[in-house]
Amino acid sequence: MLNRRLLRNLDFVTITTTAILILISLVIIGSATHINTPGEERYWYVERQGMFALFNVVFIIILLNFDYKVLGKFANGLYGINLVMLLAVMFIGQSALGAQRWIQIGPISLQPSEFSKLIMIIALADMLDKKTGKLNSFKDLIPIFLYVGVPFLLILKQPDLGTSLVFLAILFGMLFIAGIKSKHLMMIFGAGAALMPIFWHFLKDYQKMRLSVFIDPNVDPLGSGYHIIQSKIAIGSGMLFGKGLFGGTQSQLNFLPENHTDFIFAVIGEELGFIGAVLILLLYFILLYRGVKIAGEAKDNFGTLLATGITSMLTFHVLVNVGMTAGIMPVTGIPLPLMSYGVSALTTNMISIGILLNIYMRRQKIMF
Amino acid sequence: MLVKRSNYRLDVLAIIILLVFVALVSRLGYLQVVQGKYYGEKADGNRIRLAPIMAPRGMFYDRNGIPLVSNRPGFAVSLLPISGPVPDDIIVKVASILNIAPDEIKKKLSQHNGRFEPIRIKSDIGPDIVTKIEERRAELPGVVIEIQPIRNYINNELAAHLFGYVSEINDVELEEAKEKSNVYKSGDIIGKFGLEKIYDRELRGIDGGNQVEVDVTGRPVNVLGRKETVPGKNLTLTIDYKIQKAAEIAIDEQLTYLQTKSEFRNAKAAAAIAMNPKTGEILAMVSRPTFNPNLFSGGISSKDWKALNENPNNPMNNKAISGEYPPGSTFKLVTGAAALELGKVTPEEKILDTGKHWIIPKGNSEGEALGWINFKEALTKSDNVYFYEMGNRLGIDNLEKYARMFGLGVTTGINLQGESEGLVANQRYKEKVYGEEWYLSETFDAAIGQGFQLTTPLQVAVLMSEIANGGYRYRPYLVSKISSDKGEVIKTFAPEEVGRIQLSDRTLTLIRESLRDVTLEGGTAAQAFRDFPISIAGKTGTAENSHGSDHGWFIAYGPYEDPRIVVVVIVEQGGFGTGSAAPIARKIMEAAFNLNQDPAAAQQTHKPQTAL
Repeated sequence: MLNRRLLRNLDFVTITTTAILILISLVIIGSATHINTPGEERYWYVERQGMFALFNVVFIIILLNFDYKVLGKFANGLYGINLVMLLAVMFIGQSALGAQRWIQIGPISLQPSEFSKLIMIIALADMLDKKTGKLNSFKDLIPIFLYVGVPFLLILKQPDLGTSLVFLAILFGMLFIAGIKSKHLMMIFGAGAALMPIFWHFLKDYQKMRLSVFIDPNVDPLGSGYHIIQSKIAIGSGMLFGKGLFGGTQSQLNFLPENHTDFIFAVIGEELGFIGAVLILLLYFILLYRGVKIAGEAKDNFGTLLATGITSMLTFHVLVNVGMTAGIMPVTGIPLPLMSYGVSALTTNMISIGILLNIYMRRQKIMF
Repeated sequence: MLVKRSNYRLDVLAIIILLVFVALVSRLGYLQVVQGKYYGEKADGNRIRLAPIMAPRGMFYDRNGIPLVSNRPGFAVSLLPISGPVPDDIIVKVASILNIAPDEIKKKLSQHNGRFEPIRIKSDIGPDIVTKIEERRAELPGVVIEIQPIRNYINNELAAHLFGYVSEINDVELEEAKEKSNVYKSGDIIGKFGLEKIYDRELRGIDGGNQVEVDVTGRPVNVLGRKETVPGKNLTLTIDYKIQKAAEIAIDEQLTYLQTKSEFRNAKAAAAIAMNPKTGEILAMVSRPTFNPNLFSGGISSKDWKALNENPNNPMNNKAISGEYPPGSTFKLVTGAAALELGKVTPEEKILDTGKHWIIPKGNSEGEALGWINFKEALTKSDNVYFYEMGNRLGIDNLEKYARMFGLGVTTGINLQGESEGLVANQRYKEKVYGEEWYLSETFDAAIGQGFQLTTPLQVAVLMSEIANGGYRYRPYLVSKISSDKGEVIKTFAPEEVGRIQLSDRTLTLIRESLRDVTLEGGTAAQAFRDFPISIAGKTGTAENSHGSDHGWFIAYGPYEDPRIVVVVIVEQGGFGTGSAAPIARKIMEAAFNLNQDPAAAQQTHKPQTAL
């Protein structure tokens, strides 16, 4: 059970930062959706997101009672469940925007690829924990790649290019900390770059289009290019101080599609301006910096690896999402952690942060 | 513990994270501070809108390259919501200019969810309305005139049932499309019927558009980006324009003649098919009454729609493939083939026709008695008593078996929607539907194509082709080639054999000779084919109709020696096939063989030698 010593070790910086980000997100989601949602359901998105946030807080408190080490025991089981969920999406999933990503359970549509990121971190941490110091030759790396490869390919098949790239970020972040040789890392990146043309060949047409418009938005000004152009106009027109909450003309008049999910940062940029956007980025930086710190102070390898995986995942999300809205990253459908509307992502991210708290709370190796 | 370098590596990780944030903040600084004013102007002063440009639909050509369906430029009125919903006073003004109800416009606005695209209110408006709107532009902010390709059926009603028509996608179709793919969007013009529907994906092309900055009145002031349209693919049909046109004219003239100068005043519907028996290529297909598909291109008026819907003869129905008629005496080809093949009769055996059959007193339609006759005489003169006896000897099960072997009772598989299966008379059907046992008199009826038997004109055309080509059943088809707008061939369609009935040469020769004699002196169609320079095999038929006059059939192929065309004609309530359908078939044959053609018209066809 939680005792006073453990409670005293809670990371209040992480808790506070997370809480502020979630509160901001509720306000911004409200701003992005209220005008386009009819009457009584005006704040449906805000209420739903808020409800799930509260539910997750309760869940995290329960989880804090258990040492994160038990996660290692469940690693293989979770890995199996993950594969089953991803296969379920393939066969009974619902598609949207050209990809099969959802399964409907009662009133909730789940997006298993969101949870699958965290499950992969846990499973990989368990595996690498057992291999620490033994990553000396290429042969040692092969089982790891196979282990990550199976769910990676299933997600790629959905197709969800964004999430599969997150997998790579997690994998390399964790391998790096687990002690992969720099030489090997360089070789893998080199081979990856060389295989790019083949990879391109396997992309869906709409994915190719998204990557093409990243290079030149005018290739498809009515489709993906439209998002980029509108998003840049929204952010840019926010200027230094922004147009004020609920005052963004671009997002309010629905020039900007997906403005409460993937493109929520454009609403922030437009309504809160450069100052607001930078302050929010600062909050993210504090959160991620704490992640690295927690990785360093963990009592064991497993904790270090878990924290590294979580931090890599969140960093990649922030980089790609904000980069995408600002026109320096391709449109890949990666949400902004804790900010974009979407209960699967919110739950995954909050539980991830809960695990960080758990690791930090139990950092002292000697009891009493 | 981790290997030593891990702590150093965590520092590297922290530095990477820091760099990520430095990059993001720099980018935001560039967008919001350095370029903020530029983007601010874009967001405030001007609005960016999408001006879609519809891709022109693919063309239809006849087999000789004569264009049959094309596009013409037209104008459409659209509303462009500039800031928030379109104000009511503008809706009222536009409604009065277009002479439609304001609610109709509101309905259209509410159906569209895109807010950066113009919402089309009325397609294909006349130049007078364009002028009116341009004159009042200042008081009509957000009202825009778009150029829109309008589908143009060059010869109006010609082959309307084959081409089909296009119009704006409706809610149900949009839902269906969503389940299958996401190619269609609200406001799209899609094929609704005929080949336009079947080949919609190929024909529609890819819409393009301009991303434009518009001023407060919705007028484009600057084009920011452009996406070129990709024109739809063209279809080359198996149809021969010359034969199609002759068939259309022949049917119209014959129907007028029957209605005004004969006792068959109710002869208002008909169908005709010309087909290559060696490939299944449809050379012409006509159904009456018909409609003008151009009426739909710019949105059909409710008056025209009402007229089409209320016509009791159902102009939207392609009777050549969906009309089900008793085959009448044309079915004697099946009965005769079965009797010869199964040895139930020899070509030489003579049967006595006293005017009535000796078991059941059923006879010939006019009560005539032909005396002792053999197979050939019986088929040429279409003697009922002889074929009742064939039915009696074969039994209903053998009749059913041969009818199915010829391909009756199932769809032919032509690439059009709405094909009927017809019905092959059989015991199980009667048992199931009426719960009664089978009577011999029903076998008699079945043997001469009456009673339960039902066929579509296209099935009968396939049946006649099998007699002409020696038993090969080809899938009838209408499209020979799909090609890109630049002329590259994308797909070609070859004849497809879907069945084969084994018939001995003796049987085939005997039936063919009998059919040839039908158009010679003493045959049932001698009058219609008098002095026809090419030898034609034919068969008349009369389908009994309990709701009015009988339907007249005529089926034929020619030349007799080397069949290159099969023609099937049915005239609803036209009486005997000899007087109603055969004259139409003759005109179609004349066109196919370039006989008695107006020299000026003959010159118009580009390559007459490829017709047949």
